[in-house]
Amino acid sequence: SERYLALCPTTISSSDSAVDSATFVEEQKARTVLRERYIRSLLAMVKKDVHFTMYERVKVNAVFGASDIDILNFQVSDLQTPLGVQKEALIRCPDIISYSFSIDAGLKD
Amino acid sequence: MNEWCKKTPLEWQALLHKELKVCAHEKQQHQGWLFTVDPVSANIVLVSFEPDGKASIVTVMGHAVETVEVLNEGSDAISNRLVSLFMPVAPQKHSK
Repeated sequence: SERYLALCPTTISSSDSAVDSATFVEEQKARTVLRERYIRSLLAMVKKDVHFTMYERVKVNAVFGASDIDILNFQVSDLQTPLGVQKEALIRCPDIISYSFSIDAGLKD
Repeated sequence: MNEWCKKTPLEWQALLHKELKVCAHEKQQHQGWLFTVDPVSANIVLVSFEPDGKASIVTVMGHAVETVEVLNEGSDAISNRLVSLFMPVAPQKHSK
């Protein structure tokens, strides 16, 4: 989408010479590797209890559901707020400082 | 936009599988092995392995990052553990 492209600018301008096109390919490869890994980390978080640390020392727990592609909103369930449990909610990512969860590291052989 | 968000994907990739200490807004500090940096949001995914066989995953939002410091260069063993945590089992070899 155009919104996505605007959020993800290439760091090398397209007017540069052929020397840079090799760098461009390298950069795109790096972007792919990093992005795939990030999406897998989100997949690992689905249906897990996630602890969100937000601005102004707000700490909340919720069950993670989904994210939009530009990581602007997280859809969560059972958001535990000081005013009670919100069955379904959207968390705006710019309000978050960090989030954490844990998974089984089960050593696979 | 902070310094961290302005880095290129190649600079982020160079940090993969290293142990990092990340300082973020409101004096937050996090430490762990770098699994990835999202190239869109610059979010940092750190993994620490707990003694009870669990892995704890902390993601620091790119917009909240203040400083990033490398503590340990990592090893093949750590790389393999990180990859096997999230990635699907390697595809079977098929005959030609």
